[in-house]
Amino acid sequence: MNFLSSLRLSFGSRKLKNRFAVIALALAAWSPSLVHATVDDALSFAYESALPYYKQGFSIRKDAWGGDLGVREKKAVSSQLFKGNNYWFLMATDVKGATLSVHIYDDNGNLVDAESWQKGRFAGARVSPKATGTFFAIVQILKSPEDRTPWALVYGYK
Amino acid sequence: MLHSEPPLGEGIFFRFPMNPFICLNAVITCLLLITSPIAKADTPPKKISLSDFPAAAVEEVVVPVPSEIFAVLDKLGNPNWKGQLRDGKTRTPEDRARIALLLGNVIAEGFVAVEAEDAERVKELGRQVLTLADGINVRKSVIARSKSITDKADQRDWRGVRAEFDGALQDVRGAMQELNDQDLSQLVSLGGWLRGTEVLTSIVDGGFSKDGTELLHQPELVNYFDRCIGSMGSRLRKNPLVASIRDVLRKIGPIVSEGGDKITPEQVKSIHDLTHGVNQQIVEGNIGN
Repeated sequence: MNFLSSLRLSFGSRKLKNRFAVIALALAAWSPSLVHATVDDALSFAYESALPYYKQGFSIRKDAWGGDLGVREKKAVSSQLFKGNNYWFLMATDVKGATLSVHIYDDNGNLVDAESWQKGRFAGARVSPKATGTFFAIVQILKSPEDRTPWALVYGYK
Repeated sequence: MLHSEPPLGEGIFFRFPMNPFICLNAVITCLLLITSPIAKADTPPKKISLSDFPAAAVEEVVVPVPSEIFAVLDKLGNPNWKGQLRDGKTRTPEDRARIALLLGNVIAEGFVAVEAEDAERVKELGRQVLTLADGINVRKSVIARSKSITDKADQRDWRGVRAEFDGALQDVRGAMQELNDQDLSQLVSLGGWLRGTEVLTSIVDGGFSKDGTELLHQPELVNYFDRCIGSMGSRLRKNPLVASIRDVLRKIGPIVSEGGDKITPEQVKSIHDLTHGVNQQIVEGNIGN
């Protein structure tokens, strides 16, 4: 299932949906427990967790990032962020019982979260960059009943 | 220097297909997030070693959408946007690489026209987006956007127009990816970044401020575009215009690798001249001049 890992998502893509259909069928044949656990479902949850921030005036990017991770496995998503903007990064999975986290680090590896929260299969981190540059959203599955847990990350800015 | 959208911009919350199970969960999620006491964060390390993340564990840099940068520029004052507008109508070239670059360029120009609150220019650029998209077979993806750009420009709904230009950029890229034209899709982004950077450096140069210069600190983004070109098929990589752009990126790279506060006025001018030169090539097709 590692082919899911580096999948970059742009939703609304028919090709991607077809790909997910193939993936879903493959997973169904392999493990009934994973039928409902897909990255596109995770993305639905990630967008939903962004809704309160959208209502606060944050513009939510249509682009999203996702894949699947094992427990305690981490992944970095590099982003160009600009001083003067506020950003919320929101991560989710659709796997019940999973917990995950997202935190933002600068290019020197320093934690730069202005605030963050983590609630079961949802997590969020806000950053107000003190300088423009490259930042890394470090995503991690803290706990999960599955070997591999699909995740998705979106971000918004204002 | 490119891309994104305000509020309902992309309508993502409504366009994304969801099954009833997910909808129910989503509603519960929102209620939990809104009503629960502040959700507790885990305790992340204050410092990490980025070397612990090999290439396979790092997703490629997220290319910013133009609105992200214009959102900052909005806060920096009120430069002479009208003075930044480019004159004239572009003709659709035959070279598909150039069309893609020009399309990104024109979308970025749309943002400048929005800042200048020039409704006629905005509408003209909206039509150009449609024409150029036709040249690379993705016209259908932007028909509605083009119309919305015109409608919202007539209403002087500038925030809405921005959202439509952001959406046009993303829709065009999405359509190209569906056609397996990832390389051209990257060129659209690159074309937008080049025009955006030209304008940004012109504004910063016109009223040099450290806050404005900060926006130029985009080392990973420049490297990313360089890598993108490097991974393109040889025909595209050897396209004289694309090769010329790669040269420019390699000249800009070391400058924007400096911290934003270390970029000098001379370097800002240098980036401006480089991007201006290559944008002229994109618009006029006079490669090698």
